[in-house]
Amino acid sequence: MRVLIVDDSTYIRSSLRSLLEEQGYDVVGEAKNGEMAIDLTMELNPDVITLDNILPDMTGLDVLKTINTDDFNASVIMISAVGQQSAIVDAMSNGAKHYLVKPFDNSELIAILKELDEDT
Amino acid sequence: MIADLNESELKIATKLIFDGLSMAKSSMEQILQSPISIEKIDYVNADLDLDRFGGPNQDVHLIKTELMGELKGTSHLIFSEKEVSKLYEACLPEKVAKDESKESTIMKLGFLTEIDNMVSAAVITEFSNFLDVEIYGNVPSLKVLKVTELNDFIVKESTEFESIIHFKAVFHGKELDICPDFIWVFHNKFVDKIKNLV
Repeated sequence: MRVLIVDDSTYIRSSLRSLLEEQGYDVVGEAKNGEMAIDLTMELNPDVITLDNILPDMTGLDVLKTINTDDFNASVIMISAVGQQSAIVDAMSNGAKHYLVKPFDNSELIAILKELDEDT
Repeated sequence: MIADLNESELKIATKLIFDGLSMAKSSMEQILQSPISIEKIDYVNADLDLDRFGGPNQDVHLIKTELMGELKGTSHLIFSEKEVSKLYEACLPEKVAKDESKESTIMKLGFLTEIDNMVSAAVITEFSNFLDVEIYGNVPSLKVLKVTELNDFIVKESTEFESIIHFKAVFHGKELDICPDFIWVFHNKFVDKIKNLV
């Protein structure tokens, strides 16, 4: 599976890349803001996007609303420190497949990716 | 101010703050993979114990998260220089912790801001759900200050709000030998929200 990582934190992007590559996933790109996330989604057409909710230029929800069209079929996993019920409901009702609240166990993310892999 | 609350309102406010800080403590434990306790919570005095930082010329790392949405405020998570080194050694890969290159430095600072991001968000989530307000933390920012500049910085931050309440927690990580300060400054609308609940 081809994965795009979206997070403003270099540390998180790097940690996620290491984790996913160790598990055999193909990390095709990294975006540090919303605009870059939208551009890379269009350019790379990833299978999965891990999407932070608080980005410097827009929210993850804004990104989700923009990319959640028929032209793109990426599964979006929101990964955010924002844990309010309302944020989770907003994300899921706008097309996110899963919502992980930071900090999370790596095994949770891997289990989700396996589930998505089996669905495709 | 928090003194404007009557007894039952104060009980709710202190419980909410305690619950928020407990969630923050749990988040910190999970990030650092080490037990953390809340050593002290202070609702009145925001001044810091500067002696713990090891001298007036030492650097301190202050990570600030600004609250966005219906309630205004800021959180500050503060580590001494020694604590920062201990965290890097304990939590980051050795090649990153010991490397002084630009790339590793960015990773290290990113790790610190991410701790604050998750710890602050734990408090924000608790407050948002309990008070039924739309609030979230902005992208955290890191400042390296001298010990002597620290209290002035916090006071200046506080004066940006006309009327404030603040609370301070001191966390303690026995295994890691760290005691970070966690200071919150809220606009007084927090008090109004508490009053509305009663």
